[in-house]
Amino acid sequence: MTGPPQTSFGAQRRGPRLLSSGRGAVAVSTASTIVVLAVLAALFWLAPGSAAVRHTFFNPQDMWHSFIGDPKAGYYSVGAALWLNIRMFLAAEVLILVLALVIAIVRQSVSPVMFPLRIVSTIYVDVFRGVPLILVIFAIGFGVPALNLGFVSTQSAAVYGVAALVLSYSAYVSEVYRAGLNSVHQSQVAAGRSLGLSQWTSLRYVILPQAVRNIIPPLLNDFISLQKDTALVGILGAIEANKAAEIYSDTVFNYSSYVVAAILFLLLTIPLARFTDHLIARDRRRRLAGAPA
Amino acid sequence: MTMRRILITAAVAALGTALAACGSSGSGGTASSGGSASAAATSCTYAGVQKELYTKGVLTVATDKPAYPPWFEDNNPANGKGYESAVAYAVAKQLGFKNSQVKWAYEPFNDSYAPGPKKFDFDINEISVSAARAQAVTFSDSYYDVQQALVALQGTPIVTKHTPADLKTYVFGDQVGTTSLAFINSAIQPTQTPKVYETLNDVKQALQTHQIAALVTDTPTAQYISSSEIPHSTMVGQFPSSGEHYGLLFAKGNPLVTCVNKALATLKSNGTLAALQKKYLQIYLTVPNLKP
Repeated sequence: MTGPPQTSFGAQRRGPRLLSSGRGAVAVSTASTIVVLAVLAALFWLAPGSAAVRHTFFNPQDMWHSFIGDPKAGYYSVGAALWLNIRMFLAAEVLILVLALVIAIVRQSVSPVMFPLRIVSTIYVDVFRGVPLILVIFAIGFGVPALNLGFVSTQSAAVYGVAALVLSYSAYVSEVYRAGLNSVHQSQVAAGRSLGLSQWTSLRYVILPQAVRNIIPPLLNDFISLQKDTALVGILGAIEANKAAEIYSDTVFNYSSYVVAAILFLLLTIPLARFTDHLIARDRRRRLAGAPA
Repeated sequence: MTMRRILITAAVAALGTALAACGSSGSGGTASSGGSASAAATSCTYAGVQKELYTKGVLTVATDKPAYPPWFEDNNPANGKGYESAVAYAVAKQLGFKNSQVKWAYEPFNDSYAPGPKKFDFDINEISVSAARAQAVTFSDSYYDVQQALVALQGTPIVTKHTPADLKTYVFGDQVGTTSLAFINSAIQPTQTPKVYETLNDVKQALQTHQIAALVTDTPTAQYISSSEIPHSTMVGQFPSSGEHYGLLFAKGNPLVTCVNKALATLKSNGTLAALQKKYLQIYLTVPNLKP
């Protein structure tokens, strides 16, 4: 606290620059915040259609009913359906981390033997980054069963959904890995090789640990996005949280169930977002302190 | 500092003005809607219903896309073919509209019950009437009494084995938002969770690729799917009536419903609805009955 501000960007320990210092400024900012919030709340409550919107989107009774569900009345619990999202997310995340790393390493390889694989992985990344995820889910979910390939064609909608998520997200995440690999200076490879490590060993023990540390924030960013995108698997007929909410609202003509689904997704993603912030902050502290990784 | 304070003051003032404008338009809106509600007791003629129309001079009727047979034909509601298209034109005729004075609007089912003003006079889209739904919208009287039916692929177990106990063991599929799901879960009570798809076409695809053992839908749709759409499929049978019926969907409190109900009552008593059902829905008397 006593030393001069460090030079690295954003590391200066100063108060927020949004306000000039002084108690008067704090009072003004507090007052204006309260006024803006009050005006927004008043706009919402006094709008001509406010009662209808509150009834249709924020009805506590409907929110509760959609949360607990009642299959005999034609709708499922949005809360229970979220468990499917969580399982799909966890399965997809592990597979993506592995597949994306393989793709990234193939694309970074320089050996002439790997040339065909490099071409294939480049095309793969181009295609699956370019095609909307919902179309990939649709193609896998309806196309693979139509192939009539025995075991492969008789999986559940959730399995096809996870497969589509892995295909699409691996393309993105492989680019994140590649950026990480590129961020490690060439001299590190040279240093590893000069110690007598093979190309693969130096990749495994010298390059990758440094690369992965650099890309943890963007990786987690992609996984926050992945958590939400599990909702798209609903188009295959699987009853996940968003689909359960849609069924509820279509059954009783009230959208409050979507708000329940939104809140549940927020409860899932916000902790991961805070965790990402924490990792970024910790990483910055360590680097600036010159501590070993 | 001074600049900032000026900006804050300006922002607060602007928001305050917006709020005031909003409040005044709100009271204006209530007054006008009260006025139109009191005008409900008008005669059900072309001239009499003008004030209650979405667009003056034309009856705006909405449905979803794609519009499925046998309710519509060729995905074109305006051709007057298919049961619902024919009913809409018959209602319009009763109210004194010419066919050319009927305009069709596209309204996805999921949007049809959103709060706020509607962009149609009524929506005709195989929508089942229920007490919960009637809290959000206004329904007309029934224009079709619905029974649920099962469609399966020929040669699959469900075609021959469908006792109430057998039925519980299958995976069923239906389209989201239909009352078929409530029917499956309350009447059949299967042990495996049914699959719910966005569109009827997705359900059909799932049936063809053995993702589901049978699809559940209303009898006319089931009849059409098994006879004309999915090769090697068959209608296993229909379930007894649960009192379910289709109604036209209006914005909550739309006074036009009074005249439309009168028109529907006339069409029922003079046999028009029955004739249209015979013409388009082809309800064969040989549909086997199932016990849920």
